[in-house]
Amino acid sequence: MKFSKPLVIFIILTLALVIAGFSPIPVYVKHVLILTLLYAYMGTAWNLMCGYAGRLSLGHSAFVAIGAYTTIILFRQITLSPWLGMLMGGLLAVGVMLLIAYPCFRFGLKGPYFTLASIAVMEIVQNLLTSMRDLTGGSLGLSLPYKPTSLALFQFDGKEPYFLIILVLWFIAVALVWKMERTRYYLEAIREDQDAAAALGISVNKNLIKSAVISAFLVGIGGAFYVQYFRYIDPATVGGFSIALNLALVAIIGGSGTILGPTIGAVLLIPLSEVLRMTVGSQLPGLHLLVYGILLVITIIYLPKGIVSIPGIIRARKIRKANLALTGSGIAGGSGADE
Amino acid sequence: METFLQIIASGILLGGIYALISVGLNLIFGVIKIVNLAHGDFLMVGMYLTFFLFTLYKINPYTATLLVFPILLVVGLVIFRLIIKPLLGKSETEVNTILASAGLGYVLQNLALMLWKSDFRAIETNLTGKSINIGGMMLSSGRLWAFIICVVVALVLYYLLMYTKLGAQVRAVSQDTDAATLMGINVNMIYSLTFAVGIGLVGLAGCIIMPIFNVYPTVGTYFNTLAFVIVVLGGLGSFTGALVGGLIIGLVETFAGVMASAELAQVFSLLLFLIILFVKPEGILGKAARV
Repeated sequence: MKFSKPLVIFIILTLALVIAGFSPIPVYVKHVLILTLLYAYMGTAWNLMCGYAGRLSLGHSAFVAIGAYTTIILFRQITLSPWLGMLMGGLLAVGVMLLIAYPCFRFGLKGPYFTLASIAVMEIVQNLLTSMRDLTGGSLGLSLPYKPTSLALFQFDGKEPYFLIILVLWFIAVALVWKMERTRYYLEAIREDQDAAAALGISVNKNLIKSAVISAFLVGIGGAFYVQYFRYIDPATVGGFSIALNLALVAIIGGSGTILGPTIGAVLLIPLSEVLRMTVGSQLPGLHLLVYGILLVITIIYLPKGIVSIPGIIRARKIRKANLALTGSGIAGGSGADE
Repeated sequence: METFLQIIASGILLGGIYALISVGLNLIFGVIKIVNLAHGDFLMVGMYLTFFLFTLYKINPYTATLLVFPILLVVGLVIFRLIIKPLLGKSETEVNTILASAGLGYVLQNLALMLWKSDFRAIETNLTGKSINIGGMMLSSGRLWAFIICVVVALVLYYLLMYTKLGAQVRAVSQDTDAATLMGINVNMIYSLTFAVGIGLVGLAGCIIMPIFNVYPTVGTYFNTLAFVIVVLGGLGSFTGALVGGLIIGLVETFAGVMASAELAQVFSLLLFLIILFVKPEGILGKAARV
């Protein structure tokens, strides 16, 4: 196996996270680390369908909510182990995704129409969860009954086990996307030109559905982790626009359609917003989200390929400068790839 | 039978209000071909402006339209210049404008949260709680006024689009940007004007609905989805479609709200929305009804 630059970054990042998680740092910092990894994990899952295949979903919190509610309801009703609940949640998320993705791709929904459909699905799930009051507690939400530390019941008093679990999940998600090299190329080809991709023999619908299914499964599992960690959910927080936009945010600001983009985005954004929330959150509620919004707008306008594209841009600029110096005139040169 | 007529009348009134909220969104999509996800949040801004004009300066919400419309018109011009224009004509304009407007909506919502907290605010005008009896049907005065204003706005907009030179330019740009440019139309000017008018109109809608609905920072999210359902139903970019879509959703929600719960009513209209997206994305009126 050859050690490419992103692979080195990935290995260093993983090691750094492992060391950080088990060093004696304050509990609050550990909480921020867990949150960062959760968003890095779910952002990576989002990125598979929305970044690589370019089917922008702003309703992925529907699958977070499905994963979370399945886990907690199965636990509360029939005391099913959250580990199995997690699996069921992921599978149910896949089921719902298939129900919606198949017609979406079959009827060739693209661009803004696909995004609107994804928002509609999110609203439907949220409204259904609110209306099934007997099972879900309606808009008041559900809390997880406390159990002392137990691996089988997925409940721990310390933060370390949660950290380890989400670290493993994140690692699996990134490694999975990494190993799906061929699918990634197919999806990129479909994103750039669907007809040309089909003409080259790429099975468009099959690959799109594959990406959608994996994405929904991983995000559903993320939802199950969410409820086990936070111990409380309600339809608006777990299934609302906020989480859906955050998933898109970490991926796009980091660099959508790249393996480590979502992770880099999460590593930068989540601690930033948590620090803002901690310091000025009581006087200025919403400031951390306001910053998110501003960052998103600025990134979209000035850096549409995200933070990971910065080295490339700098290199291109250097090459252009070198060319200018070589030719000695401002007219010639400029072989650098410009955005 | 009487309740049936009552439901229909309420549904039509509600539909008129919904149509007024959506018409700006539709105008922007029809001409500039971008989806403005912050649409509902501009409605929220209009509602807050109306609220403060009323509570601080005792300005009647209907008079407030004369102030709120121009204010949001200017806001629209600035937003277009700062956020939308840099994205036009580049790669992936469609997706990028969606994301940028989503970010903008997030900014507006959280700005409102920071400034005015998450309290629900309502105003009490001399129309509050009043209703008018027309042929045995009780119609809320606030809703009736909103409906009348919606009809007036629709007629004015229709006149401007169909019978003025500027309207002809807007229609030309909506049909073919390149050809319009060749005919000497300043496309950029038309774009910024359309965007500003679209934002101004949703601000105006904010004034009109303030006596009927509460305002809070995320009120836009609810109306946003609704507005999208309506314009897709009627046909994105189709002016008459927004009116028809508004009436349909108004009736569907009123009926489903009576038969089932409010949440299920919304689920029902969202499902309708998905089905339309799948089988007839150009809307029920189709392309023939464009503008």
